[in-house]
Amino acid sequence: MQEKLQQLSIQAKTELNQIADAVALNNFKVKYLGKQGLLTEILRGMRDLPAEQRPVVGALVNQVRQEIEEQIASKQEQFDKIQLEKELAKNYIDITEPAKGHEKGALHPLSQVFELLIDSCVNMGFKVVEGPEVELDYYNFEALNIPKNHPSRDMQDTFFITDNILLRSQTSSVQARTMQVMKPPFKIISPGRVYRNDSDATHSPVFHQMEGLVVDENISMADLKAMLVELMRKTFGEQTQIRFRPSFFPFTEPSVEVDVTCPTCRGSGCRLCKGTGYMELLGAGIVNPKVLEECGIDSKKYRGFAFGFGADRVAMVKNSISDIRSMFRNDIRFLKQMK
Amino acid sequence: MKVTYNWLKDFVDIQDSPEELAQKLTNAGFEVEEMIYQNAHLHHVKVGKIVKIQKHPDADKLQICQVSLGDENVQIITAATNIFEGAVVPVSLPGADLANGVKIQKSKLRGVESDGMFCSGEELGIDDSFMQGASVNGILILPDDFVLGQNIDKALGLDDVVFDVNITPNRPDCMSVVGIAKEICAIYGKQFKQPSYKYITIGDRASDHLTVERKSNACLRYMAAVIKNVKIAPSPNWLKRRLFAVGIKSINNVVDLTNYVLIEMGQPLHAFDKKMIAGDTIIIRGAHEGEKISVLNHNTYSLSPSDLVIADKQKAMVIAGVIGGTQSCITDATTTVALEAAVFDLKSIRLTSRKIGVRTDSSARYEKGVYFGSAEQGLKRMLSLVCELGIGDIMGGVIDSFDYNPLEKTIECSCKEIYDILGVEIAKDDILRILTGLGINCKINGDTLTAVIPAYREDLQNAYDLAEEIIRIYGYDVYDNITKPLFDKSAVTQGGLDDKTQLERKIKNALVFNGFYEALNYSLCPPDICERLNIQDNRRFMVKIANPIGEEISCLRTTMAHSMLSSLAYNFTVGNKHVNLFEAGRTYSPKSLPLSELPTETNWISMGSTQMDFAEFKACVLAGVDETALKYHLVRSNQGFLHPGISADVVDGNGEIYASFGRIHPLVAKNYDLPKTTLYAEINLDKLIPYKDKTFVVKPISKFPIVERDLAIVVKDEISNADLMAAIKSACGKIFYEVKLFDIYRSADLGEGLKSMAYNIKLSDECKTLTDEEVTEVIGKVLKALKFRYGASLR
Repeated sequence: MQEKLQQLSIQAKTELNQIADAVALNNFKVKYLGKQGLLTEILRGMRDLPAEQRPVVGALVNQVRQEIEEQIASKQEQFDKIQLEKELAKNYIDITEPAKGHEKGALHPLSQVFELLIDSCVNMGFKVVEGPEVELDYYNFEALNIPKNHPSRDMQDTFFITDNILLRSQTSSVQARTMQVMKPPFKIISPGRVYRNDSDATHSPVFHQMEGLVVDENISMADLKAMLVELMRKTFGEQTQIRFRPSFFPFTEPSVEVDVTCPTCRGSGCRLCKGTGYMELLGAGIVNPKVLEECGIDSKKYRGFAFGFGADRVAMVKNSISDIRSMFRNDIRFLKQMK
Repeated sequence: MKVTYNWLKDFVDIQDSPEELAQKLTNAGFEVEEMIYQNAHLHHVKVGKIVKIQKHPDADKLQICQVSLGDENVQIITAATNIFEGAVVPVSLPGADLANGVKIQKSKLRGVESDGMFCSGEELGIDDSFMQGASVNGILILPDDFVLGQNIDKALGLDDVVFDVNITPNRPDCMSVVGIAKEICAIYGKQFKQPSYKYITIGDRASDHLTVERKSNACLRYMAAVIKNVKIAPSPNWLKRRLFAVGIKSINNVVDLTNYVLIEMGQPLHAFDKKMIAGDTIIIRGAHEGEKISVLNHNTYSLSPSDLVIADKQKAMVIAGVIGGTQSCITDATTTVALEAAVFDLKSIRLTSRKIGVRTDSSARYEKGVYFGSAEQGLKRMLSLVCELGIGDIMGGVIDSFDYNPLEKTIECSCKEIYDILGVEIAKDDILRILTGLGINCKINGDTLTAVIPAYREDLQNAYDLAEEIIRIYGYDVYDNITKPLFDKSAVTQGGLDDKTQLERKIKNALVFNGFYEALNYSLCPPDICERLNIQDNRRFMVKIANPIGEEISCLRTTMAHSMLSSLAYNFTVGNKHVNLFEAGRTYSPKSLPLSELPTETNWISMGSTQMDFAEFKACVLAGVDETALKYHLVRSNQGFLHPGISADVVDGNGEIYASFGRIHPLVAKNYDLPKTTLYAEINLDKLIPYKDKTFVVKPISKFPIVERDLAIVVKDEISNADLMAAIKSACGKIFYEVKLFDIYRSADLGEGLKSMAYNIKLSDECKTLTDEEVTEVIGKVLKALKFRYGASLR
């Protein structure tokens, strides 16, 4: 009987090696291990054995059975793997076919720049404050040390609605409104739309500015420099430098123009910066104490700095846009490039 | 303001090149916007003398000229007719690049070589006012005494460099050569070279010949001088050249000198032909209502009492500070001149100049502010030049009429305050050096700085002003190397976005993710948009700009629709036929017209699509609205610009409208040349701000399974899905979980005006598993309710 078992084991192994597909493997399994299978048959013959031999033979039968089962399982695994690979090889799609649903759109370059600028300032402790675009002459001019009929009004061509109501020509109008309601210390920025009676390739009658104002004790030109360096680096990259040039604004004293390392050539000089390596981008200065006083802030105790710049221009410089009018044309071929 | 390098050198020693000087001026607050090299187009042009003229053998109209350039001879072929043997002329040689764009090279004309070309005045960029004969149509004939072979720029005195300097409104004192020269002195630490004020008087006193009556407060000072035996003549070349350089035409010696002093000293002067002054009396007064005056720009203006005039006993002679009249101006026949040097109130001159629309070199200075002492300096400088040129006999004693003489003022502050403003410490010696260089007498005692401000620096009033003077001369480059920690001495403040920006960003992002591109439009529009948009409500009343650029952008929009539809239409015409856009912007609604208070400004997000269908578009609009906590439902919209059947308003329980969307009205589509299927939406951002924060109350999830049933019913077309769903929900009672419409079907079999609506209904009980019987019973109730309320039948 033991001999018979060993023969069966060898026979099974030989047969198994020749099996090449899952159907044959199943037949093999039935032939040996099935209810009418060869091994089962041997097991049935155990009844005829003497009682003392039964455990020995029984163990041997189990061993052979286990061997065959393991071999079948391993063979099965092999076949499954081949089968899966076949299926995987058959099942593929063109991954470049268009997606269903809508492609994503994009924010306007101006909004993208505004978000960047605003978030940078918010992280430095600035609150966003907006103001009206149709504004009183008082907030746009008079409160900012620009009296009626003063020559400094010539610096801007203003759209008027009535003698006292106008379209704000600068977001600085929000400075005065803020100072009247907020108690120092505070830091605010005011992004928004402004209007000037001017239209050509570089000037749009409608454009956008961002104004910044800090009022606190111990504020100096050095703070202004430190803050603007931080903001410009967040906007144009960590290597960006700024420099001050003297200028004049009625509401700041001292007043400066702020040049920023040309983002296009990184300071080496190019056509856009006319070879200087710098771009004139901001106006800034220490808040004129007359303006603080006019707005009810004690100029003996507090000092402030303010800055303002054209956001459209920043967006244009950052994205190599040459004509400001294309910013307002809304041609989808322009807008799609902002994705 | 235009000044020249050589003119500045009259008053300060300049060693630096024009380029270096321009950089230093810019760095000190006087931006040089342009540098004009007078000889930019005069290189390779020399003075030559025509020695011999022969006819060209093969061309009737050409002549062959042998020309001497002193050391060398050249041959020039010319078609010019005004030349002659012995004529001294400008000769452009190979390499020349003339003002009119002509570039010279050697050439052959009908087989004969020509080494260059003779030049006309125009080709050299000059005219008669610069040099007699320069405007003739032909070759410029030069004086015989010009040195042959000399470069033409040197020969003509066109070798100066003109600076166009931007003078900021706080520095009217620098609207002159002298003013800028003083700044250069401060920058370089040089001594200012005073102009000459010396002159000799002959004969009587001016006041014997002329009376001045100052009858208006708008004239702060009026000085006058009288010159007899005047010889009106062309100006000498040096004078013509300087005026030419700064763009002023030469007229005659007296007028030229008034202009010269205007540019040099910044003091406007006026010269009268004294015999035209009726009653020998100059009266400074407000104009009579409707008083007319003909002035030198060939116009006649009608004035009012707010306009200041310089008059005589009978008539207005000059619009004060702006422009002179024709009657009393200097002519070749003038023999006695009355000279005016006045100071006017800047607002008065500004108003008149604006009102009549005339701006002159004179008014440009007066409206920015001419200081009290300027009149005296200007007049004396003028008389000194009159004397130098021997133009006439100056009467003794100038007339001087004024009310008060402003005094110098003193600013006292601490040096510490200046350091605190600047954030950099500047040595006390430097402070003293800089302020002194600017003509400010100052001393420092302990920490106290005392500065005596000269009268012409009206802009200097406090420590901040002094701090700026110090730092701009010291050099702002000191900040290049300062790295200060951010806000190290300031209070910590909490930053943050305002509510509107927060919400706007959320909605904008939702739209971007749904395939929309952000547009940007002017908030200005033409007056007729409400007609084009079929709007009949208050939005027709728009705020109008008093001084618009053009009608297209003359009003403030009261609706976002015009901008959006125009953007879609633009894209459509350029071939972008499938476009989704949105815009975040404001509208402006007047409370009354004309405006007496500020209009209401409302923030919106508008959307437009020439790509989507209604359902897709609706999903995108609601994706935006769903960024808020608003509980809303839809009702039919009656916005004039929307299709009445294919549009909706987003409303809350009170019927308040938060958004409107849908297909545009067919008439509007026609007005904007857009397809009828164009979609438009507007979301009122401001109304949604109170709902910007979403909060959630999470219910526990039932342990028991959800049971689903599908139900298809047939109803009349006009029954809305929303009504049916509401009825299903209410009939299900407390075990309702969810209902979804998954199919709509219409066919002839169903019958005309009917539709089949297939719903998937989900039921769930929190406490137990629902039995089949319970579910069947509820669905029965649903069917009954739908039948009862909407006449629905099971399909």
